[in-house]
Amino acid sequence: MNYKSRITLDIVFKVVFKATGYLVLALLGGIFAMLIYNSISFFLDVKPFDFFTGMEWAPTAKNPKYGMLPLILSTTLVTFGAMLIAIPLGIGTASYIAIYAKPRVKNILKPTIEMLAAIPSVVIGFLGIVVLSPGIADLADLPNGLNALNGAILLAVMALPTIITVAEDAIHAVPNAYKEASYGVGANRWQTLRKVIIPAAAPGVITAIMLGVGRAIGETMTVLMVTGNAALMPTGMFDSVKTMTATIAIEMGEVPYQTTHYYALYAIATVLFFMTLFANIVGEFFINRFRKYHAV
Amino acid sequence: MLGAMLTSCSKKDNAIKMKGSDTEVNLAINLAEKFTELDNEFSISISGGGSGLGITSLLNGQADIANSSRPLSDDEVQQFKDKNIELKTVIFAEDATAFVVHKDLPLEEIDLATLGKILSGEITNWNQVIDIDLPINIYGRQSSSGTHSFVKKKLKIEFSQAAKEMTGNAQIIEGVKADKSGIGYVGAGYVAHDPNANTKIRIINIKETPDSVAYSPIDAETINKSLYFFQRPLYQFVLADSWEKVKPFIDFEESKLGKKLIEEHGYYIIEK
Amino acid sequence: MQFKTNRLSSVIEWGSLLLSTAIVCFFIAVIIWEIFSKGFSVLSWEFTTMVPKEGMTSGGILTPIIGTVLLTLITSAFAVPFGICCAIYLNEYAENTWVTRTIRAAIRNLSGVPSIIYGLFGLALFVQALNFGTSLLAAGLTLGLLSLPYIITTTEEALKRIPNSTREAALAVGATKFETIKDVVIPSAMSGILTGIVLTLSRAAGETAPILFTGAAFYINGSSGYVNQEFMALPYHLYMLSTQHQSIDQVRPIAYGTALVLVIVVFLLNLTAFYIRYKYRKDEN
Repeated sequence: MNYKSRITLDIVFKVVFKATGYLVLALLGGIFAMLIYNSISFFLDVKPFDFFTGMEWAPTAKNPKYGMLPLILSTTLVTFGAMLIAIPLGIGTASYIAIYAKPRVKNILKPTIEMLAAIPSVVIGFLGIVVLSPGIADLADLPNGLNALNGAILLAVMALPTIITVAEDAIHAVPNAYKEASYGVGANRWQTLRKVIIPAAAPGVITAIMLGVGRAIGETMTVLMVTGNAALMPTGMFDSVKTMTATIAIEMGEVPYQTTHYYALYAIATVLFFMTLFANIVGEFFINRFRKYHAV
Repeated sequence: MLGAMLTSCSKKDNAIKMKGSDTEVNLAINLAEKFTELDNEFSISISGGGSGLGITSLLNGQADIANSSRPLSDDEVQQFKDKNIELKTVIFAEDATAFVVHKDLPLEEIDLATLGKILSGEITNWNQVIDIDLPINIYGRQSSSGTHSFVKKKLKIEFSQAAKEMTGNAQIIEGVKADKSGIGYVGAGYVAHDPNANTKIRIINIKETPDSVAYSPIDAETINKSLYFFQRPLYQFVLADSWEKVKPFIDFEESKLGKKLIEEHGYYIIEK
Repeated sequence: MQFKTNRLSSVIEWGSLLLSTAIVCFFIAVIIWEIFSKGFSVLSWEFTTMVPKEGMTSGGILTPIIGTVLLTLITSAFAVPFGICCAIYLNEYAENTWVTRTIRAAIRNLSGVPSIIYGLFGLALFVQALNFGTSLLAAGLTLGLLSLPYIITTTEEALKRIPNSTREAALAVGATKFETIKDVVIPSAMSGILTGIVLTLSRAAGETAPILFTGAAFYINGSSGYVNQEFMALPYHLYMLSTQHQSIDQVRPIAYGTALVLVIVVFLLNLTAFYIRYKYRKDEN
């Protein structure tokens, strides 16, 4: 190939590569624009105040009601429950792997947890229906076990690998100097862990938690299959709840394009987008502090 | 890999998209399976989701046929008009809802008012209707079921909170078979075609008032003459633009083999 | 600072950590056991090679398997070239301007966006605006968008690991920048890139939310794989069989079988990625 065509090729591909970078921006911009555009169309029909504080979500009733409070509370309840389970278990397991586990055990545990992360959400949801639902129904004497508790447990299972992996990295990255100093003044492993290592790894651990939260908020299939999908104001873990993601998934297929109900679903998606964005930004903030903290 | 992509790229313009009623979806799948054996140029994709979803898909241009266990609402008719979409309506079967009780319960027929009071929870014990002292157990469907809404609408009641919500005909029959005080509603053809069912349960005949004639849902002539109170047509709404494409399948549904399949599924064919 | 060296309390505390780990392992064990034990009996050569029959109460799951395979092919055909090019741009060409930082931030945010929002975007863009209708193409492209951030990130990390000295050596013998990338950098980073692709594909194969309203159907006759038509897919099939089917109890065994096939496919893809990663580390040492 002669010199001129090589140079041309070089320039052509430089342009191509650059274009893909901008296309990624276009993608995020496109998603954002779509959400905002449709949400605005929605707010032309329904007052934002009614949307955010309304306690009834009944878009197909004779007098349609688009109050998203039950939905946002359902998502919060299930995510909160999931974190109650996943945070202690996740940090505990991460600590165990990082500090106590022998290398051979570590080499089995870490890939196993990565495998858990790979299991599709629909399979976890399926297990929620066939295993967890009868279990909860028996234990709590309910007609069926499709409720917030079921969703919370399954979301915890799905968030655990993320939390464990990131927290374990954070704990592992605490410089040996800290550990040695602590042992040097006479602390044992547990005391070192609790009073020195975890605080030092705190930013990374918070990142782990926020990533887990982001995952839980945005999860669709699992909650769709096991939470019962009743759009009522939740009163407890044994209530049937309808999360924001499940609402979009169920109703999007049934709604004529470009109607108020259609726009309402995009409005919910916009709130969802900002919630996960917030969780991710907080997580990122802490991962930066984590990196700065350990610039030793 | 590129080769696989190219070969799978070839378009097929006679593919049919059918969406809608969950009640009808199994029948539609069976009809499609049999029709594919006869005509392998035939290509169809079928989804459930409810009569509402089917009709919406027609509006959205994402389906050719909507299966629906109810007619179009006025709003929907208007929406189609607004979009200049023309539809053809096919009634491909008639569905009748039968009310069943346990064989040992001495009840042969019932009038609408009493039935309404039982299902709404106003009457809670059989001794208010017949000479047996047993609390009534209702076996019904979930609120997303077209049959549930149909019964509610026809009787102009709200179901009692105590009514059990089963997920299908099979479950309701099992429930009533085992419960001497049970009453439930199922597809009439489903019971009529199940040879075992008749030994343990009885279909009760419906009369409009205590003095009128009681009709049975498993009498084909009654259904043909539209005399049974709880019967309804099952619709298929077809985009007029897709009619040519869809016609072979519709013809199959109306053929002898098609009709046999429909009846095997527990529906009736109205002889015009 | 006074530390109480209480033997008993540290054993209890160590025990509680062990307990958390044990509980997590218990979850994993229950999941694997349940799916493998109940799904295994359904699995057979016929199961994976027959199409669903009798309203899906018998027969096999060939159609969903083919659907998932084709879907993944379309996803990779779109996301792989696109993603690698973008990673090349970011790592090889881009300077640390605010544009570059914005692009990087955009990628990080895109990877956190819930999959259902990608489904909505796919619906608005591919199904409606570009008029592909609900089809294999629309769903495949939607999954492609979903996979893009992950491929970009993993490819970029693979490229970062190639030391600059390698690039400088190539330029020194007269290669153009493009040729350096094409003939030196990419081949050296290949295992990292491949690992990323395989892991991304395993995730795309298991996704349900983005294909819900972009083209998945409950049933299609024959095993047609035309890109402008609807399709069946393993995750959607499992979802339908376990929640919407008329005879849920009858099809329960098939649901287990579908879950098992899906899990096996995902595990195999993950193991492949592990193997590539392992071989790469070995070669490096």
